[in-house]
Amino acid sequence: MRILLVEDDPMIGESVVDGLKAEGYAVDWVRDGQQAESAVTATPYALVLLDLGLPRRDGIEVLRTIRERRLDVPVLVMTARDTVRDRIKGLDTGADDYLVKPFNLDELSARVRALLRRAAGRAEPVIERGQLVINPATREVTWGGAPVALSAREYALLAALAERPGLVLSRAQLEERLYGWNEAVGSNAVEVHIHNVRKKLGDGAIRNVRGLGYTLATE
Amino acid sequence: MTSIRRWLLAALLTALAIAGFTAAAATYFSARDEVDALLDEELRQVALSLRDHAVLDLRRLESVGANPDQRVLVQIWDPAFDRPYVSRVVGEGPMARTPDGYATIIHDHRPWRVFSLYAGRQLVQVAQPTALRTQLAATTAAQLVLPVLVVLPFLGLAGWWIVGRGLAPLGRLAGAVKERSPTALTPVPTAGLPVEVRPVANALNDLLARLDQSFALQRRFAADAAHELRTPLTALQLQVQLAERAQTDEERARAFERLQQGIRRATRLVQQLLTMARLDPDAAAAASAAVDVGALVASIVEDAQPLAAERGIALACRDEAQQASVSGAEDALRILFSNLVDNAVRYTPAGGRVQATVARDGDSLIVHVDDTGPGIQAEERERVFDRFYRGSDAPGTGTGLGLAIVSQVADMHRGRVTLDASALGGLRATVRLPTNASAH
Repeated sequence: MRILLVEDDPMIGESVVDGLKAEGYAVDWVRDGQQAESAVTATPYALVLLDLGLPRRDGIEVLRTIRERRLDVPVLVMTARDTVRDRIKGLDTGADDYLVKPFNLDELSARVRALLRRAAGRAEPVIERGQLVINPATREVTWGGAPVALSAREYALLAALAERPGLVLSRAQLEERLYGWNEAVGSNAVEVHIHNVRKKLGDGAIRNVRGLGYTLATE
Repeated sequence: MTSIRRWLLAALLTALAIAGFTAAAATYFSARDEVDALLDEELRQVALSLRDHAVLDLRRLESVGANPDQRVLVQIWDPAFDRPYVSRVVGEGPMARTPDGYATIIHDHRPWRVFSLYAGRQLVQVAQPTALRTQLAATTAAQLVLPVLVVLPFLGLAGWWIVGRGLAPLGRLAGAVKERSPTALTPVPTAGLPVEVRPVANALNDLLARLDQSFALQRRFAADAAHELRTPLTALQLQVQLAERAQTDEERARAFERLQQGIRRATRLVQQLLTMARLDPDAAAAASAAVDVGALVASIVEDAQPLAAERGIALACRDEAQQASVSGAEDALRILFSNLVDNAVRYTPAGGRVQATVARDGDSLIVHVDDTGPGIQAEERERVFDRFYRGSDAPGTGTGLGLAIVSQVADMHRGRVTLDASALGGLRATVRLPTNASAH
């Protein structure tokens, strides 16, 4: 899952990036409104975390631009503007959720999961694909009822493929979902992770679809 | 407690009483003169009419008894008799002889007015006690003063009511002021107030307006401050949670290092908020003293040398003004100049230069701080003085208060701060302070 963070404060930005990365998300971080607009147009993000008090272009303007361009990416506004009027304005401009600073990192994570779940068209918090069960809240994964220990990247890989039933993702698409801008990606990094996941779950867990990419086994 | 109502009433009634008694006294004295003239004439007429009866035959005249109703006493001396004729007996023995014309004598222990004339060899004396005259004049005067005395209590009651009515607008004003609360300092209504009370109400409204403005500023400052504290607090909250989640010692050490930075930043913000809150103009006026700006800037530059060295920046100071001083608060001016020098050092990349210059320009003292940093875009040079405003290119974690404080201190000293492009390539901050004016 690739997330765009728009936040001008370096300390808050660093912390949110660290927190989300530890949970297996790929995070791109921009620090002003103009960069946010170009980033969100260029890359299909799973979610945008948007601060409102931004240099160059206010967050509300960025949000308006996103919705005017018919981008349906979920947007979570996280801001110090806490009045009811501000919240209503944020939500009515197109935000899917509104979080007032200072906020709790765990709560941010939970809201991120909820938004991603809804965006994937699911209501139930646990993802079940055949023998695979993923709990995004605890990041526990079971295969045929047995718990599996995965690294953050391996988890992210499985979660990406489990996003929708029957979803096929190319290597490039997986790479995009797994890595942020500033992360060095080895040329065969995705294959290495797939190899490792297959070792833990069994070779049949992830299937190659010739010419298209990878998908989860459905049986 | 003094009461306008009681005072006015007492003063008015006293004045009225004094006026009444003065008028009565004047009347008494003038009536006395008139009565004197009138009764003197009466005495003379009586004497003349007695004389016209030619020589009186005293043997045919009988002294009559003492009749107090008679206004005059007639006494006639004849050389043929050893005792005079007396119209009525008063006291022991006859009245003394008096020369021709009017005289005032004491007879029977009382003063008498006497008119004497000779009719042939007989001396005719017509006398009257002067008490009668005093009594007549006093009666006339009393007739004047009595109505005043009778009216006085009624006038007092009426005055009490009238003065009360006249002072009622003051009472209404007091009521209106009492209704104001510190949170709703709306002006008191001045419609219908008399011209004497209106200046009070206007002055009061003026004060209320200034108070309201000052409260609004305070509230806004508090709201802004609370809002701005959210950012460092958010960072702290996140940093603490990351420290809790850290799996390895290395991660934990890094998280704690960041937490330290976050705490330092929050502390700095709180300090600057305090500085800002303490910079009130009255305090500056109280601490007004001659401040040698050249020496002050030199000492600030010296203090900033370690930071400059750490960042690889050449920091220098030049005093062209030669011991020029301004009147002001040294502590506040120190904050002003060190904020400017600190900013220049912080925002100038390594290898750069920062130059502070103190110069004189007529009645003003000028301090330039030049740097080789990135500068500030022309359209932002005014806005960066706003509280909590941070330039769009400002790196790091500034509070957005430094330049607001600078501008506030300059205002306190009737000075001005401007930002321009520097000849060194970066930003030039210029502080202009009047040398002859005291802080206000």
